[in-house]
Parts: sequence; C-alpha cells; structure tokens
Amino acid sequence: MTGLQEVSHRHEADVQAAGGHSVPKGEPILELRGLQKNYGAVQALKPATITFLSGEIHAIVGENGAGKSTLIKLLTGVIPRTAGEVRWCGEPVQLASPNEAIARGINAVHQEVVLCPHLSVAANMFLGDEMNRTGLMRKRAMTVAAKGVLDDLGFNLPADATLGNLTIGQQQLVATARAAMRGIRFLIFDEPTAYLTRQESAQLFRLIRRLQSEGVTIVYISHRLEEVFELADRVSVLRDGTHVGTRNIGETDEDELIALMINRTIEQIYHKEHFPFGETILETRGLSGPGFTDISLSVRAGEIVGLYGLIGAGRSEFALGLYGRQPTRAGEVHWQGRRVEIANERKAMELGIALAPESRRDQGLCLNLPIGLNINLPVFRRLTRGLTINRAEEAANADRQIRDLQIKTPSRRVLASAMSGGNQQKIVIGKWLSHGAKLFIFDEPTVGVDVGTKAEIYRLFARLLEQGAGIILISSYLPEVYELADRLHVFRQGRLVASHDYRAASHEEVLAQAINA
Amino acid sequence: MSVETVEGSVAPAPKRGVSILFGLTLLGLLLALWLALGVATNAFWTPNNISNLLRQGAMTAILAVGQTFVIITAGIDLSVGAVVGFTSVIVAWLLAAGVPLWLAIVATLAIGVLIGVFHAFGIVRMGLPPFIITLATLTSLRGIGLLITNGSTISITNEAFTNFSRADFLGVPSLFWMVIVVAVPAYVFLHLSRFGRYLFAVGSNREAARLSGVNVDRTIYLAYILSSTCAAFVGLLLASRIGIGNATQAEGWELQAIASSVIGGTSLFGAVGSVHGPLLGAFILATINNGANLLNVNSFWQRIVTGLLIIVIVYFDQLRRRGSR
Repeated sequence: MTGLQEVSHRHEADVQAAGGHSVPKGEPILELRGLQKNYGAVQALKPATITFLSGEIHAIVGENGAGKSTLIKLLTGVIPRTAGEVRWCGEPVQLASPNEAIARGINAVHQEVVLCPHLSVAANMFLGDEMNRTGLMRKRAMTVAAKGVLDDLGFNLPADATLGNLTIGQQQLVATARAAMRGIRFLIFDEPTAYLTRQESAQLFRLIRRLQSEGVTIVYISHRLEEVFELADRVSVLRDGTHVGTRNIGETDEDELIALMINRTIEQIYHKEHFPFGETILETRGLSGPGFTDISLSVRAGEIVGLYGLIGAGRSEFALGLYGRQPTRAGEVHWQGRRVEIANERKAMELGIALAPESRRDQGLCLNLPIGLNINLPVFRRLTRGLTINRAEEAANADRQIRDLQIKTPSRRVLASAMSGGNQQKIVIGKWLSHGAKLFIFDEPTVGVDVGTKAEIYRLFARLLEQGAGIILISSYLPEVYELADRLHVFRQGRLVASHDYRAASHEEVLAQAINA
Repeated sequence: MSVETVEGSVAPAPKRGVSILFGLTLLGLLLALWLALGVATNAFWTPNNISNLLRQGAMTAILAVGQTFVIITAGIDLSVGAVVGFTSVIVAWLLAAGVPLWLAIVATLAIGVLIGVFHAFGIVRMGLPPFIITLATLTSLRGIGLLITNGSTISITNEAFTNFSRADFLGVPSLFWMVIVVAVPAYVFLHLSRFGRYLFAVGSNREAARLSGVNVDRTIYLAYILSSTCAAFVGLLLASRIGIGNATQAEGWELQAIASSVIGGTSLFGAVGSVHGPLLGAFILATINNGANLLNVNSFWQRIVTGLLIIVIVYFDQLRRRGSR
C-alpha cells in the first residue's frame, strides 16, 4: 500500500517539530502585519496586512508588478523583508531562508518548472530527499513510491519516464506532486495553469481541493479570474505594491475584482472593434507538416482569425510551418492571390508575415540583451547605412516602441530579463510593430500577462486591423479567442475540426470540439 | 519566476555604462601593473623592453579578438593555437617553393578562411558541438603540419618577410600596429554593424534570433571564419618573427586567447563581450609574463598567477553583474 499519505508521513514529524502546534480550521495560520519590501528606493511591496486562515484556498490577484512575486518570495524565504512581522501559528517567525520556510511546512509550486529535465519523474520527486539504504539509493523503491503517489493523486503519469520528455503541463503536475508529498501545511501556487491543458487543469484543481480537505492552506495566484471563482474561498487584491482589499468569494464578482485591480471594467478588456474586411491576404490549401495535417484557412485584411485548441493540438506547429521555421510536406500557400513557397523565416518576413511566438523565454526574446536590441533585431538591415548602423535611428526606433507600447523601463539599455511578463510580451510585439507586416500571428500573446496589459494588447489588435493588417490569434484561453476572433477555427490532434463565425457557437460547443467530438 | 524578479521600475544600471566602467577597471589594472613594475625594476621602462612587451602581447591580442567573436555566439574555438602553427608551416612552405610573397600571404589567409568554414560546417550542418569540432582540428592540423615538414622546421629566407616583425613604424613595433589593423575593423564590425548585433543575438537565444529573421547559420560561419582568419594572420606574424615554419609552435595559445577574452569581460555563456576587453586582457597577461621575467620569477609561477588572475577577475565580474541585476 503506497500513496501520498504514506510518503508524506515521513515528513510529518519534522514539520511538527519545526512548525509549532496545529491550528484549527478557520483560525489564522499565517498573519502578515505591515509586511514590507523595498528594493533601494522602490517599494515593491508597501506595508501589507493579510491574514491566511487555516484550511482555506486564498487567491491573490493583481497585475504584473503589483507585488505578487515579491510576496511569494517573502513567504518562501527567498528574499528578506524590509519591515513588518510575520506570525506563523501565532508566533513571530523570521522566514530567513527557503529551508526555514520548508521546515515550517511552507512550500511553493512555481510557474516555470524548476526541476531536473534529465532525471526520471521519480528521481525528481525525491530530489534532495532520496530514500537510501546505507548510502545507496533505493531506486526501485522510489519509483514504486512515486508511482503510488501519482496514482493516488489521479495523475496518469509514468514514474520512470525522463521528466524532460513530458509536456510542460505534465511537468507542472510532477512539481505539484513533489510539493504535496513533503508534509506541507501551506502551499503557494504561482500561475499554475499557464501551461496546462484543460484536463490537466482539472486534475490540478482536484488535487488542490484534496489538499484543502486534508487541512492544507492554499494560496493560489492567477491571472484567470474564472479559476479564482471556481476554486477560492477568499481573494486578496494587490495593486502597485499595495494590498487594496480582501473579499469572501461569495460577496464579490469579477467586475469588482477587476475594478480593484485596474479601475477598468470587463467590457473594456475584450476590446472588439469590427472593421470591413478587405482582400484576402493569406490562404492555405491543405497545408501539412510536422504536427499538423491538411489545414485550409484564409485571412482577410481587417480580420482576426482565431485558432483554438489544447496545447499540442497543432496550432503552434501550423504557425511555425506557415512562417517557414518548419518545412511543410504538402499543400499550398497563397499570398495576396499569388502562390508562394515560404522556405525560411526571412522569406516570410519579406512577404509581410510577423510571428510573436508561443514562448517568450525560448523563442521570443534574447533575455540577456538590452530591450533596444531586442526591438530592433528584425530591422537592423533597415537601420544600416553603408557599413554601420545608424545609432540615432536605432535609439529612436527603440524609444518609439517603448513609448508607444508603454513598456515600463527607465531605458532601452535595460536587459529584457529584468522586465515582468507583460512588459516582455510588449517587447516581442514591439519588434514586429517596428518591422511592420500585413499578417500578424500572435501565439498565446497573453499567457502570464496581467489584465491591464491584456487590454492594451487587444486594443493594439484593433489598431493593426484598422491599418489593414490581418491577424491570426492562437490561444488556449477560450474567452479570448471567442470574444475577439471574427472567424474561429478549432484544432484537434493536428487537424482543423470545426470553424465558426463570430460568436456563432456556444462556449460548450467549441470546447467539446476541441476535446473530443 | 526569475523573469519577474524586478518588477516595474526596479531596473539595473544601463549596460553600456557598466561595460565602460569595466574597461576602465582593466585599463587601471594594466597601468597599475606597469607602474609597479617600473618601480620594482629598472629594466621595465626601457624602449627595448616596452617594444618587446608590445610584440609579445600583440599576437595573443589578435587571437583573443577572433576568439571573442566565437565566444559571443556561445561557442568556443580551441583550434587557434594549432592554426597558428599550421599556417606558419604553410607560409614557410610556399615561400620555400618560390611563391611570391604577396601570394603566399593571401593563400595562407585563405587557408584560415577555409578552416573556419570547416568548423562552421561541422557545427551547422553536422550538428557537432563547437568544443568537439575545434578540438578535432586542433590535433589534426598539428598532424598535417608535421606531415608536411616531416617533423622538422622549414626556414624562411625571404628577408622582406622576416624583417617585418623587427621593424618599427613611428617608434612603435610593426607587430603592435597589426593589432590596430585588426582591432579597428573588428570594433566597427562588432559594435557598429548589424552583424555584430546578430552575433550577440545568436549567442543569447538562437531560436529568437532565427524567428526574428537573423540568418543564424551565416552568423555562425562568420564567427568561426573570423576566428580562424585571425589565427592564420597570427601564423604569418609568428613565422615572420621566428623566421621558420613549425607545426608545434604556438602550443597552448588557444588557452591564452580564451583567458585574455575572459579577463576582458567576455562571458563563456555567450552574448557578453567587446573588442577592447580582450585586447586589454591580452596585454595584462603579456605584462605579467614580462614582469615575471624581469623579476627573475620562476616561469612556472607565471602560469599559476595567470590562473589566479582569471579566477579573481571573472569572480569580480560576476559580482558586478549580480549587483546590477
């Protein structure tokens, strides 16, 4: 008999010893009193007083830069606080190091998986805490135990597979299972569903509820308000480093939360303007390639074509194939009525196709280079006079995009890695605005992006359409494509399985088509 | 997670300001070494010794500049020392066969280009790691050079060629002028042209560069060709200086070049580097060599000091980067 209970049992004694006494459900377990963090002169978190009750699911929402990450880092002992007090089970604690936080039973599951991709799932779950007999690892025992935990949690994952061979979503589930078996009492989730499919999200939610029923206190950080309403008992809102309020979930609604976060209403977020459609810019006929088969669709000027489907349904692969990054096997591409072969990325750019790829970190940005260089990367040829780059134009172009897109940075020379997710996405977009194009492909443009920036990005879509461009919008977030796309195509297992006009089908219908007809 | 560490307005110091500061620190270190050696020995500040120092540093400096292009793309070129030895054999061989001097020089540089093409071909088309393909040429080029000379050396009788390295121009050794001849175009290329920006972009994130329309393959070809051509050029200078072609010359110079580059602030992870940094790095190493000779320090100590210097400088550079993040 193996399972979560048995494995996590190994840790309970440690946690009890380090973490004071148990707290009855509904009583305060972790209290922040005037907790504050400054970076130099900048207040990343202004004095915040928040109480977390034992056994609750407490959501924290706020835009990027609102102080959510700072708060997590304070609670997990990654950074020291500037001022204020933290009380754990009624006693003041330092939380000076990650080890202290873990020893007290405070743990976090991060958005980006921080595990070893070359080790097996089981090895990762037991990393730093291996079962051993006289110094030798009990590999088989660990695999069996890990399998027990995964099965117990209802995750259908192989314990002996190499972690790197799993999807990002599956890796996230492994990270969660890893945290769950460490005898935790307080678990923080940072944007856990950003890379998950719907089924994986559902599995995660079941796990979160189960942990709650076992008395674990959950802090759930998300940009997706519908998840907050599905899951949380209470919700706290941060804005510009200030804690602006905490609500019981039954006593608030989406409109109020958004108003607290940004002072904007929900209608203003999904900013949809309709423009008369112009000529057909792009048409694919039976296009096939690695990961997608027989895709026929077209995009007109002034039109947003939405591609909806689960991660791995072939939408991003289709975009990369269209953009010349991957070779296509069969089918035709017509550009403004003329048949073209797009052999590589540069050919696509010459035609007038721009791609803001799925992953900012892996495909979108040179993170350890300045913002200005990133923005200008596609246009250095245009900025070159004779042998050298015109430095004044280079600077002016970067500064213009930074200003137009309101990228929050003191200078174009700041490294892209120093920016928050929303600002990084703006850099990726700024690249293509300065290059200019007829067809913009946006692949998951709002993953890990706060509501305010989302609204800015949607308004930008309207601006592009107005100028006569066409847009392909790829998203696994249904409301986004549903509200914005003039024509919505549903992908499943590499094929285009259904198409709808603007708001012609219901959410449920589209979902059913994406998952299984 | 780490992408979101600095939220809003908490921004690191602008990059260029930091890089100038680092350059000035290195220059300060070099001047401090010179002052200290001037005080400690009488022989240091003699025209003879300074000329000698500039000659010693010149060849490493040119290698280091070429190496830096490769390292910025997150690669490495281990073959440069072997290329120097090999090309010294080639030029000596060509001259001994009665080939005109200009043609021998052009042909030798062309061989440098070809070696770079081969490296890039291995990396881009065959998918070999840079470390492996350049390690392979390191050993085979020495082998080919030894085959050509049958294990011995080829003397160079062309006096115009051998006198060059001893000549001065405006009171400065001609070898040092060659550093300037290489460094000025290198600076324009790396810091002022779009190809320089592409090197950085490829070193930072190859996929992002590709999707932004950068011809990644061509950029990698460019980097390795420049490195090997710089090495072939140094091969010419070395042959001129010692008057022979010998495939076993320049043993370990690739490590000197990499060390100079790293001391000059180049990151082995790519996307960080400059032209002036490696030059300063090369002359710091040359000064340590020179000073150790003058002070009669056992030459084995030089190697140890060089190692320590690499650790100290790179450590402080890391601290600086972390501090500015």
